[in-house]
Amino acid sequence: MSTAPTPDWLLENGHVLITGATGFFGQALLERLLADHPTTRVTVLIRGRGATSAASRLAGLTRKPVFSALRKRIGTPGIEELLRTRVSVLDGDLTSPHLRLPDDLTAVLHCAGSVSFDPPIDEAFRINVTGVVNLYDAVSRLPVQPHVVHVSTAYVNGGRFGLVPEAPLEHDVDWRAELAAANAARDEVERESRRPEVLARLLSEGRAADGKAGPTWAAAAAERSRLELVDKRLVEAGRQRAKSLGWTDVYTFTKALAERVAEEYARTKGMRISVFRPTIVQSALHHPFPGWFESYKMLDPIILAYGRGILPFPPGVPDAPVDVIPIDFVVNAMLAVTANPVAPGETAYFHAGSGFRNPLSARDMDEHLRDYFGRHPMPDKDKGHITVPSFRFVGTGKLDGLLRHGERLVSAAERTVMRLPSSPRTRGWMTKVHTEKTRVEQLRKLSDLYSVYSAVETIYTDDRTLALHRSMPPEHAERFGFDTSVIDWTHYIREVHCPAITALQRQAGNRRPRAAGPKPLVPGEGIAAVFDLEGTIVKSNVIETYLWARLVDRERAQWPGELISLAGAMVGYAKTDRRSRSDFIREFMRRYAGASEAAMRRLVDERMGEALLLRAMPEAVRRIRAHRAAGHRTILITGTASLFLTPLAPLFDEIQASRLHVGADGVISGYLDTPPLVGEARAAWLRRYAGQHGLDLSRSYAYGDSYSDRPLLELVGNPTPVNPDPRLYRHAKKQHWHIEQWGANTHGALETLVETVNRVPGGVR
Amino acid sequence: MSRPGFVLEVDERTPSLLVHQGEGFRLEKFPLGTRVIYPPDSLPGIRDLDAAIRHALLNPHGTPPLPELLRPDMRLTIVFDDISLPLPQMRPPDIRGRIIEHVLELAAAAGVDDVELLAANALHRRMTPAELKRAVGDRVFRAFFPKHLRNHDAEDPDGMTHLGLTRHGEDVEINKRAAESDLLVYVNITLTAMSGGPKSVAVGLGSYKSLKHHHNVHTLRHSTSFNDPPNSAMHHSYHRMAKVVEDHVKVFTIETTLNGDNFPEATKFLQKREWEWNLRDQASLLAFKKANEMTPLKLRREIWQRNDAPFGVTGIHAGDPKEVHPLTLANVHRQQLTEIDGQADIGVWGLPFLCPYNVNSIMNPILVMSLGLGYFFNLYRNKPIVRQGGVAIFYHPMQNDFHQIHHPSYIDFFEEVLTQTTDQQAIESKFEKQFAEDPWYTHLYRNSYAYHGVHPLYMWYWGAHAMEHLGDVIFVGADRKAAARMGFRSASTLADALEMAKDTVGGSPSITYQHTPPATLADVR
Repeated sequence: MSTAPTPDWLLENGHVLITGATGFFGQALLERLLADHPTTRVTVLIRGRGATSAASRLAGLTRKPVFSALRKRIGTPGIEELLRTRVSVLDGDLTSPHLRLPDDLTAVLHCAGSVSFDPPIDEAFRINVTGVVNLYDAVSRLPVQPHVVHVSTAYVNGGRFGLVPEAPLEHDVDWRAELAAANAARDEVERESRRPEVLARLLSEGRAADGKAGPTWAAAAAERSRLELVDKRLVEAGRQRAKSLGWTDVYTFTKALAERVAEEYARTKGMRISVFRPTIVQSALHHPFPGWFESYKMLDPIILAYGRGILPFPPGVPDAPVDVIPIDFVVNAMLAVTANPVAPGETAYFHAGSGFRNPLSARDMDEHLRDYFGRHPMPDKDKGHITVPSFRFVGTGKLDGLLRHGERLVSAAERTVMRLPSSPRTRGWMTKVHTEKTRVEQLRKLSDLYSVYSAVETIYTDDRTLALHRSMPPEHAERFGFDTSVIDWTHYIREVHCPAITALQRQAGNRRPRAAGPKPLVPGEGIAAVFDLEGTIVKSNVIETYLWARLVDRERAQWPGELISLAGAMVGYAKTDRRSRSDFIREFMRRYAGASEAAMRRLVDERMGEALLLRAMPEAVRRIRAHRAAGHRTILITGTASLFLTPLAPLFDEIQASRLHVGADGVISGYLDTPPLVGEARAAWLRRYAGQHGLDLSRSYAYGDSYSDRPLLELVGNPTPVNPDPRLYRHAKKQHWHIEQWGANTHGALETLVETVNRVPGGVR
Repeated sequence: MSRPGFVLEVDERTPSLLVHQGEGFRLEKFPLGTRVIYPPDSLPGIRDLDAAIRHALLNPHGTPPLPELLRPDMRLTIVFDDISLPLPQMRPPDIRGRIIEHVLELAAAAGVDDVELLAANALHRRMTPAELKRAVGDRVFRAFFPKHLRNHDAEDPDGMTHLGLTRHGEDVEINKRAAESDLLVYVNITLTAMSGGPKSVAVGLGSYKSLKHHHNVHTLRHSTSFNDPPNSAMHHSYHRMAKVVEDHVKVFTIETTLNGDNFPEATKFLQKREWEWNLRDQASLLAFKKANEMTPLKLRREIWQRNDAPFGVTGIHAGDPKEVHPLTLANVHRQQLTEIDGQADIGVWGLPFLCPYNVNSIMNPILVMSLGLGYFFNLYRNKPIVRQGGVAIFYHPMQNDFHQIHHPSYIDFFEEVLTQTTDQQAIESKFEKQFAEDPWYTHLYRNSYAYHGVHPLYMWYWGAHAMEHLGDVIFVGADRKAAARMGFRSASTLADALEMAKDTVGGSPSITYQHTPPATLADVR
């Protein structure tokens, strides 16, 4: 190790470039430099994002909690002054090969990187490898070589067992070949996903899922799943490639290759690079304030899941160290590394962790968490508090098996429920499946996270880092020390970290996002209230209507014939309906062929009208009337023939229904005058209608019961599913739409039929 | 000769007493000392009805005989009471139909061509063709339906005539056809003392504009009771309106009264005094009770609704309404009046399955309220059965169940108004106009079979006098939520109800149980 004779601990008059300044490390480094290194200038490499410029992203950073202690000390003007005098923004992007860096840099702190464990392989490489290449290309062109601190992770050592030294990785993977393969992967997967067989399969799945909403929706669903498929394949490609070479995931794999890039640049371009490998970085112990953290990291989801009683097992193997280090220790160590540059052409390695000299075992962790959550249980909305279950350690294999089983069960249950007809009971089941699915998905995420830390027998030595600490003058070490052996885990976990990360959840526990309640109707002009008919306003359907029409009209002796003919055709109808709602309506309406229109009208007036009203849901009628009272334009869109709607007609300003074609002889031909309005055709119609009548759809309301109503519902600002079918129910739950359950005081189907056909013309009995 | 009414004082030997409770009943052991009001025994019905009808038409009171009022070129309108009378429905042939046949015979003999029949359904639902047929009889139905046998339509913009104002400024608006007739023959059934007389034409053929002058909270609070016309502000208004009608239209009324035969032979025990039940009565009662309890609600409702009453007719009087009605009332009193001394702290009523507005329908919670606090509470003369500030205990299951076709505005009233307030005056001032003029309700009233939009509010006002008079109202066996929605308490047993009543009337209250049906009009001295 070749350190300067007297390290410049405060980086005096230095000029430091920070990449990834908006991240957890970057923020902490920036704050520390501005707060406690009065003569150091900083350049931050930030990418402007959308309309937000790089400069305003920086300004935004200083409003974050990390600066709150400093802000208290020197005030907002003080911080602005610091930004003006000591910080420059370099608007740029590591993925671009044309970076230009300031000439007078003394150090580069490279913190940028993808932290996701399973991004698609090309993304992981673009950020973690290509980004490094681009940056180091730019650095190598500088007239004076600054000291580069390359942030890696202790876990680049992959699945190695035992003590891992602060040394170059041992492997002979060619990073160029891997990079080229990763870059090519997307094209390959894209090509594969466009094969006709694949597209046909996706489209048929799209039709099954969204076909009811219309062909464009089915196509859109197919394309969505194609993109998902591509992503999934790329993620899988990354994970499998990493595993095949001995890494746990694509994150550690690319980080390891990035170290190779660094080493190569040092060797070939004479750069000075220190590789810095922290373990699991958690909230701050002292600086900027105890418990500071940026967002849930690494272990936090596991701790929270533990506290909320979701985790069925305590994490880990009892004797394995959970190698945790507070962020302020990491920052101090990193700045100390920065202050001790290596010679050109050399690479130095530093581990920052606690597992070697002050191990926190999984068993201890379990005890701390149990103690903490025992004393401060998490609130459970409306139900008091959650108790943390007491469990035995079982290891990750078991969890994984359990999860796989759970996932299989949940998806089977979901498939089954989706096929069931809509009823309050199936919706109840759907809710249960939905909850269970969320739980299993959560667990799956935790389990995947956890597998990263399951390299249980690995211990990272930190002799070189410790040597740096020991070489500090005592007064400096007092403020900037990073000897993790002084950390009192009991204090840190129970009093600092857990309270910090649970604080948000404790607040959130009382205001969890819930499906919005029914909002009062906003009165006003130019607002539409659009209703579907069957299942939304009335409980009956076209088949029921047909039975009323046919049976009241005929002698009882003819009933069996009619019923048998209908029953025989039902399977075919069901098939058609699954394929296309409009085809079904067309096909079914043919049954009316040959009936006299006038007779049918009389029948509706005298007898069927009542049946329709008996099957109407009072809540629906009330809601329609409430819309009217609020000055909204009430619209009925239905595939049912307009002929049958007369009893409900006075409720609507506009009725868009199918019209049965009537021949010159007054006989119904069984064909429709216009195509039935279903699925996305409804949305298209409404869009046009709204345009013509100056209706504001964003303030409008729509009601529907079936997934085929989704295009209509999504078109308006206030969508309300009524007694939704399982598919719509699932969608509504995801969107947090308010769901109505209507139909109290509504007659049963059979009861209505019996009453209708039994009635002496128009009579009650 | 039938036995007169009777007040029983419950002692150790008193058996459990029958208490009606929707589509069922209880046998209840009342506390010692409870006084039970029984109506007089059912009077014998007229044997030769046709002769009696003919006699009434030919020997009217205060007018020439009917044949003398008929001439060939006249407009004759025959109006009859609607489905709300009698209760239960009368076993066919209906007395209305029999009378109408006689009237039509006389009209035909006189060569009257222009004859129309109108159901006086006011703001009630239209009668279905089947119901009309049942009321007027097969022959008449076939001859007149649908063109000349119709329901009154109070919302027909071209079908009403404003006759003028009473001296109190009340609008009198009635059916145009009736108003423009040369003779209006009204065929009535008077079941309780509130019906008939001045009410028939002015109310039965009236409109909301006209009815709102007496169907309101103020009037009903001052109708003590509305079964005692001299003390009923509502009847005073009817009389003023009848006067206006009389100035415009010649009315020949035929009023009938019925005896107390509410139940068919098989369930005759339901109107016997309990200590007179023989072994057979007791056995059939137990069997019936068991079977009834095991039957699902919908079927049970159907069975009870099919229970036609084998009513006997106790009187037929025709002529000038003013002269006929006192005779009718005397007949009603003969059948229903029972004297009792003094008021009680607690009144008990068992509410049966039927009220005027759920024939062939469902008795919803609002109708239960109006039957209890309206109709039954007001079955008195002189003084209410319960003292001021006393407690009323009613029996009814009060299911939260509505008939969608018949009572659409009731559902909305229950869900949207009663959830805000149960205060009658507040409801009247804030919601009446809205419900009365709602175009959808009007559409359903005119074209479907719905009660008028304002009807549930009228039912709510119907209890105005009772609500003002009583200290507490408790429903035994009621759906708790439905009762609470209407501002009432519910108890599962009489003992619990009495316990609850303690807060209001103390530990040893006097109790009166008005044993009905058959209807009993208490004359409280």
